[in-house]
Amino acid sequence: MLGGRSARGRLRIAVVTAAVILTACGSNKNETQKGADGSGSGKTVKIGVIAPLSGPLTALGVGIRNGADLAVRQANEAQKIKGWKVVLSAEDDTGVPDVGANAATKLSDDKAVVGVVGTLNSSVAEKVAPILNNNHLVMISPSNTNPSLTQGTDPNHKARPFDYYFRVATTDAIQGPFAANFAYNDAKKRNVVVIDDKKTYGQGLALAFKGQFEKDGGRVPTVETVEPDDKDFSAVLSRVKRFNPDMIYFGGEYPAASLLTSQADQQGLKVPLMGGDGIYDPTYISVAKQAAEGDYATSVGAPTDQLPTAKAFVDAYAAAKYPDPYSAYGAYAYDAATVIISALAQVLPDQKSITDEVRPKIRQAVQDGSIDGVTGKVSFDQFGDTTTRILTVYQVQNGAWKPLETEEFK
Amino acid sequence: MSDLVQQLVNGTVLGATFGLIAIGYTMVYGIIELINFAHGEIFMIGSYAGLALYTYVLPGSWTGNPWVTLPLVLGAAMAASAAVAVLAERLAYRPLRNAPRLAPLITAIGVSISLQEAVRLFYPGGKNVAAFPRIISSGGFTVGGVTVPWTSVFAVVAAVLTTVALDRFVTGTRLGKAMRATSQDRETAMLMGIDTDKVIVLAFALGGALAGVAGVIQGIRFISVDFHIGFIAGIKAFTAAVLGGIGNIRGAFVGGLVIGLVEALATEYLPQGAAWKDVWAFVVLILVLTFRPEGLFGEQVAVRA
Amino acid sequence: MSPSVAALRQGGVEAARRLAGRRRAAVTLAGAALAVAGANGAWATFAFGYPGKMSLAGFPGGARAYVLVLVVPGLAVLTRWPGRRAAAMAGSLGVVVVAAGNLVAIAKQGGGLGAVAAGAWLAVAGGGLLLIGAVAAPDDEAPTLAERTLPPAVEAAVVAASLGVVLALVWYGLGVEESSRFASFAAAVAFWASALAGLGVIGWLQALYPRHRTVTLAASALAAAAFPFTQGGEAQWIRVFASIGIFATAAIGLNVVVGLAGLLDLGYIAFFGVGAYVAALTAGAGTTTSHVVLPYGVAIVLGAVTASIFGVVIGAPTLRLRGDYLAIVTLAFGEIFRIAVNNWNSVTRGPNGISRIPDLALGHFNLGQPHRILGVELPGFANYYFLVLVLMAFVITAFTRLNDSRIGRAWVAIREDEVAAAAMGVNTVRLKLLAFAIGAFLAGAAGTVDAHFGRQVSPESYSFLQSVTLLAAVVLGGMGTVPGALIGSTLLLLIPEKLRAFQDPRLLIFGLALILMMRLRPEGFAPSRRRQRELHAEGEGADALSAPPGGPR
Repeated sequence: MLGGRSARGRLRIAVVTAAVILTACGSNKNETQKGADGSGSGKTVKIGVIAPLSGPLTALGVGIRNGADLAVRQANEAQKIKGWKVVLSAEDDTGVPDVGANAATKLSDDKAVVGVVGTLNSSVAEKVAPILNNNHLVMISPSNTNPSLTQGTDPNHKARPFDYYFRVATTDAIQGPFAANFAYNDAKKRNVVVIDDKKTYGQGLALAFKGQFEKDGGRVPTVETVEPDDKDFSAVLSRVKRFNPDMIYFGGEYPAASLLTSQADQQGLKVPLMGGDGIYDPTYISVAKQAAEGDYATSVGAPTDQLPTAKAFVDAYAAAKYPDPYSAYGAYAYDAATVIISALAQVLPDQKSITDEVRPKIRQAVQDGSIDGVTGKVSFDQFGDTTTRILTVYQVQNGAWKPLETEEFK
Repeated sequence: MSDLVQQLVNGTVLGATFGLIAIGYTMVYGIIELINFAHGEIFMIGSYAGLALYTYVLPGSWTGNPWVTLPLVLGAAMAASAAVAVLAERLAYRPLRNAPRLAPLITAIGVSISLQEAVRLFYPGGKNVAAFPRIISSGGFTVGGVTVPWTSVFAVVAAVLTTVALDRFVTGTRLGKAMRATSQDRETAMLMGIDTDKVIVLAFALGGALAGVAGVIQGIRFISVDFHIGFIAGIKAFTAAVLGGIGNIRGAFVGGLVIGLVEALATEYLPQGAAWKDVWAFVVLILVLTFRPEGLFGEQVAVRA
Repeated sequence: MSPSVAALRQGGVEAARRLAGRRRAAVTLAGAALAVAGANGAWATFAFGYPGKMSLAGFPGGARAYVLVLVVPGLAVLTRWPGRRAAAMAGSLGVVVVAAGNLVAIAKQGGGLGAVAAGAWLAVAGGGLLLIGAVAAPDDEAPTLAERTLPPAVEAAVVAASLGVVLALVWYGLGVEESSRFASFAAAVAFWASALAGLGVIGWLQALYPRHRTVTLAASALAAAAFPFTQGGEAQWIRVFASIGIFATAAIGLNVVVGLAGLLDLGYIAFFGVGAYVAALTAGAGTTTSHVVLPYGVAIVLGAVTASIFGVVIGAPTLRLRGDYLAIVTLAFGEIFRIAVNNWNSVTRGPNGISRIPDLALGHFNLGQPHRILGVELPGFANYYFLVLVLMAFVITAFTRLNDSRIGRAWVAIREDEVAAAAMGVNTVRLKLLAFAIGAFLAGAAGTVDAHFGRQVSPESYSFLQSVTLLAAVVLGGMGTVPGALIGSTLLLLIPEKLRAFQDPRLLIFGLALILMMRLRPEGFAPSRRRQRELHAEGEGADALSAPPGGPR
C-alpha cells in the first residue's frame, strides 16, 4: 500500500496543489493580455466575410473569401489606408440561414468589424441582413439575386428594406429579361420550354425569363420543375419533346443543367439549352461534353479579358497562389471588398479609433462612392442595387465558353 | 401511344437500378432485421470506385475499348461496395447485434452520414460533381417513335443478369440455402450447424456487390456522380424492398420496377408531375405499409393487436 | 472486446501493479513534477500564432493551464479516498490527451516536429507516468458519498454551488476564443468530470438533485436567467443559447414520442415546420401570402394545435407498425412535408419561404429591441432568450407531469411490451395517437417562436438531417430525461459554434460520434436510471425497443 501514513500522502498532495495554484496565479497576469496577433504597431480594422466555407457550396464560398482576401492583401501592401491595417475576418455560414445568423451576430459584436462581404445565398441573406442592418454594418453581397432584398416585396411600390444592404450582382429581374431578349431577337427562338430547379435562384430567373420572352412575342408552352439533386430527367424531357421547342431555358445550376442537356441530346431533342450564371462553369462542359456545344449562358459583367481591371485581378489571383480557384463569384467579392476599402480610405484617416459613428459613415461612403471594379464600374442606386447592368451572353464553342455579346441592359 | 411506351421504357430502366439496390436492403433486413441506412452510400461508393479505377488505375491505352474497361470498372465497383458493406457490418453493426432496436438504427444513420462526408472530404474533387467516363457510347436506337439509348440497354441487361445470378445462387447452392435458412430462423439455423456469422457477412457482401453494379449503371447512364446520390436512391430502394416483401429477393426487384414505372408515368400524366416525382415513392411506401405490410410477395402474417 | 485485446490490457495492468508501495508513489510524484514542469515550459520553438503564447516559458499559458489543472486528480492515488484509482486514471489520461493533442496540433501548424519544444514532451511524459501510477494502484472500494446525508441546508448549498460552478464554466468557456484552445478546455472539463465521477461526486450530486428538487430548479432557473447578464452587452452567445432553447423545446417534445412512448419518429421536424409556417403566415410578414394577422398569443396556440392535428394524421396509419418500419414511414412523411412546402408556391412561396417576419411583439413590448432590464442594457436577442426560458419551463413541467402520470406509465407499458399492455386494458390506439399529438403540439409551439426569432421560414430548414439532429440530441443526451434533452441540444448546437475552425469535417464528426456513442454509451450522457440498467444489464427485463421490430415476420 502507500508507504507511510495517509497523512503524508495528503500532505504531498497539498503541497503539489499549492504549487499548481501558485503557478496558475502567475499565469493569470499574462493571460489577460488578449489578442492573438502580436503585431501592435498601427491600428486594425476588420472586414468580415460570411459565405459557405464548408458543405456542398464550398467551392463558391471559398472563392468569395479568397476574392475578398486578395483585395485586403493588396490594400495592406499598398498602404491604402494610412495608419491602419485591414484584417479579413471570414465566418462560415455552411449555406444554412441559422448558422449565417450566428456568424452575423458574432461579427456585429466585434467592434473592429466595419463591413461584411456576403452572403452567397439569398436565403441566408434574409436572416443575415436584418442582423447586420440593426447593427449598422454595411453588407455587400457578391451574388444574391433575389430582387426583394433591395426593392421590397411589392414591385409596384418599391421600398428599400435594409439601408445597409448592397449588392454588386444584378438581380434575376435583369438577367432573366436580358436572356429573353437575346433569345428572341438574336437567337431568333420562338418556342421555348422553361425548366427550373425549384430553388430560389432558379425559379426566380426562369419566371423572369418567361415574362419577358412572352412580352417579346415568343411562346412558352410549358414550365416544368425538377429536383436539383435529380439525375434522371428522361421522363420530363420526353414530355417536353412533344412541344417541339427550339430551345430549353433552364433556371438552375450546372450539375442538373449538364445532365439535362446531355439527356436531351440522347432523346433526340437536339436544341440548345440556355441558362444564367449558375450554369456558366467549366464543369458544365466537362460533364456534358459534346452535348453542351451551342448552349448559351448569361453572366453579369463583361468578359474578364476585355477589362484591364479584370485582367489585373486574374493575374494577381494566380500570383497569390490560393489553393482553390475564384469560381463564379470571387471577382464580385473582390469588388465588394474594394468598395468597402475605398470607403475606409475616406473615413478612417480622420479617426483615432473605431467609434460608433464609423459604421454609419462607412455606409454613407459606400452609398455615394464608386470604383472601377473587375466587373465594371461599381456604384449603387437608391435601393442598394448596382447601377451597372452589363451582362454578357456566352456560348459553348469547341468545348469552351466563348463570349458572344456584351450589352448594357436598359 | 408512343409517349406511353417511351415512359414505360424510361420507367423500366429507372426501376432496374432501384431493384438492384433494393435487393441489398431486403437481404440484410431478412437476415438480421436491420434497415441498413448506409446501403444508399454503399451504392454511391460503387460509383466512385468505378470512377477511381478508370481515372487512376487504367492505363490510357485501354480506355478506348468498352469490352475491357466495363468489366474492370464493374469489378472494382462490386469489390469496393462489398468491402465497405462488410466493414460496416463488422465494425459498426456486429457489436450491436443484441442491442435494443434504436442503437443499430442510429448507428446506421451515423455510418451513412460518415460515408457521405468521407467521400466529400477525401475524394479528390469530391465536393463537386464528378464526370463519369463515357464507357458506352451515348447513341441509341429508335423504334416507332420510342428512343432507347444504349446505356439503358446496358442498365437493364446488367441488372437482370446480376439478379438472376444471385437468385440462382440463393436457390441452388448450399451457401444460398444456408442464407435462406438463417433468414427464416436464425437460432434454428445455428443449431443446425450453420455458421450464421459467415452467412450474415455473405449477405452484406452480396448486397453490397449488387449495389456496386447499380452504382456503375448510375454513372454510365448519367455520366456524373456526386456524394449525395445515395440518400434519395436509398429511400426509394427501401420502398421497393418493402413493396416486394421484405426478405424476398425477386420481390425486391419487381418492387423496384414498379417504383420506376410509377415515377415515369406520374411525371408524364399528372400535372406538374415532375415536381412531385420523389413524393410518389413515399406515398407508395405509406400505402403499402398501411394496407399490405407484408408487400406483394411476402408471407401473410397475422396482424397482432 | 476481443480476447486478445483484453489479454493485453490485463497483462499491462499486472505489469504495472508490480510497482508496489513506495515505488508507485514515487512514480506518481515524478509524473506530477514532470507534468507541472512541462506545463510551465515552452511548447513551441517559435511563435507562429498558436494560441496561448506557447513559445514563452515560465507560465502555463493557453492549453498548458488545463494540463496543470488535470494533474490534481491525477494525484488522487496518493490518498485513501474511495474511487481514487478511477479519478487518477481520468486525470492522468486527461493530461496525456490534452498535451499530446496540442503537441500534434503545434507540429501540424508549425510545420513538423521541430516546432515542438521540450515542454510539450515533458508534459506528455509526466502524464504517462501519472497514468502508470494510477493503473498500478490496486482496485479500491466504490465511493459511498451518495449514501451520506448532510444537514439539508448544507446539501441545498452544495446543489446551488454546483449549478453556480456550471454557470461559471459556461461563462469562461464561451470566452475562450480560439477553436483549438476551446477543444483543450472541453477535454479538460470532460476529464475532470470523469474524475469527479470516479470519486463519487457526480453520483452524490445525482442523488442530491431529486432530494432537493425545489432548490435545484430554482438554482437552475436563476443560473439560466442570469446568463444574459454575464455577456457584457454582446449578443452572440445569447443568440446561440436562444436557438438552443428553441431546439431543446422541440427535443423535449420528441422525448415524449421517442423516450416515453417508444415511437421512433424520423420526420419530427415537420411538426416544428408546421408551427413555424403558421406563425409566419399570421404575422403580417413582408413576403407573406396571407392577409391574416393574429396577435402572437393566438398564433402560438394555433400553430401548436395545427401541428398537433398533423401529428394525429401522421400517427394514424402507423399504429400497427413498430420499430424500424415506423421510423421509415415517419421519415417518408417528413420528406413529403418538405417537398410539399417547397412546391406549394401559392401558400408557402415554395423555396423562397416567407421572410421579413416582424419581431415578436407581446402587447407593446417588442422583442427585437434592446431593453434595459435590472439596470443592464440587453440586446434584442435576450428578450427572445427569456421568452424561450418561459416556454421551456412550461414544456418541462408538462413533460414531468406526464412522466409521472397514469398516461406516462401507460406509455411506458406500451413501450415495454405492447401486447401485454393491450391485454392489461391499455387503449394503445388512443395513447399512441396522444403521444404523437402532444409531441407535435410542443414542437409546433417551439416552431412559432423560431419563425419570429429567425425572421424567416424556408423549406430547407426542415430536412431529414434536422430530424436526425433532434433525435441525436435526445438519444445522445439521455433518453427519457429532461436534463438529457437539454445536454444533448446544448452539445449539438454549441460545439459547432465554438469550434468554427472545424466546420468542414463537422458532419463527419457528427456521424462518427453517433456510431461511437451507440457503441460505448447507448444510454446517453444523462440517462434515466432505468434506461441505464436496461442497456447494461441484458436479460434483466426486455424493452419494446429491444423487441423484434415492427412489420411482418
